[in-house]
Amino acid sequence: MALFEARGLHKRFGAQVVLEEINLAFEAGQLSGIMGPNGAGKTTCFNVLTGRYKPDRGSVRFDGADITGMAPHRIVARGISRSFQIMNLFDEYSALDNVVIALPQVRARGFSVTHALDADTDARDRAEAVLDRVGLKGRERVNVRSLSYGERRALEIGVALATEPRLLFVDEPTAGLGTGATARLAELIRELKRHTTIVMIEHDMRFLFSLADRISVIHWGQVIAEGTPEELRENPWVRRSNLGGLA
Amino acid sequence: MNEPILRVDGLRKSYHRGFLGRTETFRLEADFTVEAPAIVGVMGPNGSGKTTLFELITGSNAPSAGRVLCRGRDIHRVRHDERDRLAIHYHQSYQVRHFRRTRPAFMMDRAGSDYPIVHLFDEPQFNTQDGYIGFMLDFFRRLRSEGRLVFLCLHPNERFHLEILREICERFVFVQRGRLAHAASFEDLTGLAPVRDYLGTLLR
Repeated sequence: MALFEARGLHKRFGAQVVLEEINLAFEAGQLSGIMGPNGAGKTTCFNVLTGRYKPDRGSVRFDGADITGMAPHRIVARGISRSFQIMNLFDEYSALDNVVIALPQVRARGFSVTHALDADTDARDRAEAVLDRVGLKGRERVNVRSLSYGERRALEIGVALATEPRLLFVDEPTAGLGTGATARLAELIRELKRHTTIVMIEHDMRFLFSLADRISVIHWGQVIAEGTPEELRENPWVRRSNLGGLA
Repeated sequence: MNEPILRVDGLRKSYHRGFLGRTETFRLEADFTVEAPAIVGVMGPNGSGKTTLFELITGSNAPSAGRVLCRGRDIHRVRHDERDRLAIHYHQSYQVRHFRRTRPAFMMDRAGSDYPIVHLFDEPQFNTQDGYIGFMLDFFRRLRSEGRLVFLCLHPNERFHLEILREICERFVFVQRGRLAHAASFEDLTGLAPVRDYLGTLLR
């Protein structure tokens, strides 16, 4: 059985139907990709999967348990983390502090940034280890405001990892990145893949096809195609497109 | 399941101008049956009535006369909040579903299905660069193999649009000035004089 499963998700806002019928299954240990043209419903799908919106129909199951419509913080507590398309870092704090705040042991104590963090060497060690994993060793003391765009992306993933997720959702990580930064991010995600199950929504097909084990293509609020990158690339129309040129 | 998947029965939609001495400005007439799951290509000039036809089939526009039966259910008698369970019209802003309420829901029929039976794609954006065409065509094939009826409406202005229609459609409807012409194959379709005029240089 898949680690995460969505069945028959339907979502509308008034007369506006955004998800018609979404069926998805993500296997443990894999990187599952979701792609689709603009307005296909990708972000709403993401929001329903991660508990931000409640679907009008359908169910979401994680590790065998029904988590449909469960509040986001309760979903996080079950081991699902999400890295946001919109940056949600604390600009006025250091990279290290941003990670420390996200650690489960610190969250459990309550959300007080000032109280603290200096005293807790265990939390500090853990946070340093996380920063090392996302390639920010040596940048611990730097204020988030002073980090480059690519470093912020890496830190965002670090913050998500600090929650020790069993499943990590990443929303459009390459948005706004140049080629150099995108290549570094690809390395980073390849490394993360060894530690956790990942679901990634991505616009950049080249990026997604190089990293994903399986890809679901969303359009018209539905999964219109699904398969390994190799399988999807076999389609003659895909071969004729720019995507077909990807080796 | 002996009922045809779609029966368009003596359907007519008239638009008028003026209150007294009304003159008809446009009339669409359609009468045809699709027995089994299929992918049907629809073509026709702008303003020929293609979108009106799709609206009548999905029940978002009320006919002046006639019926639309989807697996035997009269779509214009189905509850407004369940009509899109029978047929979906995918247009530019496909997500918006508006159905004018004419009667309270309790007086109307249930859709009787969760996932739509008829899928009408109204000029989907096909771009040869990004590869999505391939996924879209596969999706049409999957819908058909799962027992759905697919209409693909295109206004061909590039040669590959014809290539798509030829590759994927089993029968065709050509709409012109509110009248429908039917063709059982791409060759039959392009043999029709009005179609040849309409497609012009794309056929050469």
